[in-house]
Amino acid sequence: MGKGVWPFVMAGLGLALLAWGSTWGLAFAPREAYMGEVQRIMYVHVPTAWNAMLVLTFAFACALVSLLRGGWRWDARLEAAIEAGVVLSGLVCIQGSIWARPTWGVWWDWDPRLTTTAVLLFAFGGILALRQFVDDPVKRAVWSSVAVVIAYVDVPLVYFSVRWWNSLHQLQSTPETVSRAFHWPLRINAFGVLFLLIGLVELRARLAFLRREAESAPPPPVRVAEALGGVR
Amino acid sequence: MNGASAGVIQGGWEFVVAAYVASAVILLGYAFSVFWRYRRARSRRDTAL
Repeated sequence: MGKGVWPFVMAGLGLALLAWGSTWGLAFAPREAYMGEVQRIMYVHVPTAWNAMLVLTFAFACALVSLLRGGWRWDARLEAAIEAGVVLSGLVCIQGSIWARPTWGVWWDWDPRLTTTAVLLFAFGGILALRQFVDDPVKRAVWSSVAVVIAYVDVPLVYFSVRWWNSLHQLQSTPETVSRAFHWPLRINAFGVLFLLIGLVELRARLAFLRREAESAPPPPVRVAEALGGVR
Repeated sequence: MNGASAGVIQGGWEFVVAAYVASAVILLGYAFSVFWRYRRARSRRDTAL
């Protein structure tokens, strides 16, 4: 197996684990005593939230390394991690909203956990947009790294918001707060999202690096026919 | 009484299905988008070489 194939294998393994964990969660796990069937959303919502925070922590580490040591590979990893973090944060908001409707009676509430998560989504989405608008690759790398270091302050706020403030959202789900019957589908899906994420972040980083190479490549030679307005 | 216990959410499968469908669409859609953009960038690079 070639060295370049491993991200595809990781992504495939992640999807297989997600299919297994979701089937278990939907068909075989018991219904929860108070939330009933709706609690099954936890098996996709919680792993998505964990991995969103994890990949944004990786983005923070990439930003620090990029600022302190430089190197285009770290900048490419930074771009990949931000994009994956934005996708997962958006998905967490959608899943949470679907869960909120039957349990809280509303699709959305400006509760501390939801508000800090929305801030996270817009902050990192803004950084991704910033990268599209800056043409100079050096400025793009430095500015987005600094912005990620600043925006990362919101990640611990998201995590601790349910402890620090009076929140509608329940406390974090951990093996200590979740009954044993619910552990396996939750863990399998957590590893499923993680493996999928590792594969996609690696591929997305390679893509960012290829684009960076194309930016620094010398312009292609001008063909005489094209220069004179002829047909290609 | 209709047999439902107080404080217990009845039904709700439509929300469960919606959450799983949204997750599948977004995760698979993003995975496909990354694969597709990566393949396109590689073929462009190979063409340029």
